[in-house]
Amino acid sequence: MEKIGLYLGCNIPLKAPDIEQSFRQVFPALGIEPVDLQGASCCPAWGTAPSFDLNTWCVLSCRNIALAEDRGVDIMTGCNSCFGILSEAKHFMKDRDRRKAVNAQLATINRRFKGTSDIYHVAHVLHRKVGADKIRESLKYSLEGLKIAVQTGCHALWPTDVYKVSETNPYHPAILRELCEATGATVPHYSRLEGCCGMGGMRSTDPEKALKLLREKLLSIKEETQADMIVTTCSSCFLQFDMSQPILKERGLIDFDPIPTFYYTQVLALAMGFDPSQVAAISQIDRSAVIGEMQSEKRLIKEVA
Amino acid sequence: MIIDQKKIDEAIDTIVAYGGEYIRECVQCGACSAVCPGVRAGFPLLCRNLIRHLLNGQLEEIIEDSSSWGCQACSRCTEVCPQGVRPQEVVFAFRRYQANQLAFSTSSVTSQMNLFETGHAVYVDPKEARKKVGLPETTPTSAFDEQAKQEIQTLINNSPMGQLGLF
Repeated sequence: MEKIGLYLGCNIPLKAPDIEQSFRQVFPALGIEPVDLQGASCCPAWGTAPSFDLNTWCVLSCRNIALAEDRGVDIMTGCNSCFGILSEAKHFMKDRDRRKAVNAQLATINRRFKGTSDIYHVAHVLHRKVGADKIRESLKYSLEGLKIAVQTGCHALWPTDVYKVSETNPYHPAILRELCEATGATVPHYSRLEGCCGMGGMRSTDPEKALKLLREKLLSIKEETQADMIVTTCSSCFLQFDMSQPILKERGLIDFDPIPTFYYTQVLALAMGFDPSQVAAISQIDRSAVIGEMQSEKRLIKEVA
Repeated sequence: MIIDQKKIDEAIDTIVAYGGEYIRECVQCGACSAVCPGVRAGFPLLCRNLIRHLLNGQLEEIIEDSSSWGCQACSRCTEVCPQGVRPQEVVFAFRRYQANQLAFSTSSVTSQMNLFETGHAVYVDPKEARKKVGLPETTPTSAFDEQAKQEIQTLINNSPMGQLGLF
């Protein structure tokens, strides 16, 4: 089985471990073995070292990358921010002087960045290494007839020149749509597809401005797709959609019920027949109805041994 | 406004030193601002307008503005810029200038402390939630790894961040 370093970040293992559990169940079933990167830290997040000092950012990122290099594996991250941060840091290491300075710092803790591990996102591994056909073959339930609005999130899209894998047109992303379509679901286009959800630095600096962006995006999703659920491959977008839709509803800024939101591998795990109390157990929005629908008997494709 | 070459040089040199290497290439076309979610949300000093202030030598004058902290680092701007300015890197260079002058919101101090103490910018005790979904209660990350925490603290203490007196 192909091995890949599972870089967890912060939000997934600490706040949304059901997403982590969905990785741990889905990947081995699809022929990929996630390897823990013992002792990995925060990527570091945009609001920390990257906001203070470029080399300190690179030092902390490269320590994480070195953990994968030591095990001879590439990195797979489920969080878009981690994907962006680690990819940018690796890109900065092309500068020889910087590389020297960063490795001098890493030497104080007996580590070294070599540049031998590539950075992938969970969505890339599913799309490129596993592929839609294998996903289709692994399903226990077909999601045919269900409508999904997709949210790729910013840091898997731009800037394309620092990423190992990028979209043909990042302003019209297709990877997540194709992954969702592989479950049998319908994935309609909506006009604010590439729009920002407002999470991240914006939310902590000015929550009202962040909610304004989320509301614009939600109205586009609701009016143009009538989606049964929102599916994302960004853990920050997941948290924003899940915790802020109820706020908008409470304030009367949306006149419909919050749309259940999932991380992609949660939906895939459910369609593969895994236990919702392990892979989709933590959310502000009640998702039980749509989970029940996804795993209803009429959707059974085959008996999985 | 009085244009003062000394102030312009100081502003540009500061931004370049903090990582906004290509600020001089800007022709103020505004492509960056057209795609910026922060500009769309209403932050006044991002992308084209921030660069304009800096190229005019206005650095200290805008140090208290919080727009740069509203930047999502999404890099839509960097993708579209026809001049290769990499505006996101200019915004972050300005943010680093602010941070090193301690001109940032106190709420941001918590994530620096979390990073230093646990290796995670966002930290909540995960044991109960992890147990609930059938995972080991502790993570294989720095939060539960003493050696990893020591490594992170050594790296931060030896960095310019360690000299700000936050930890």
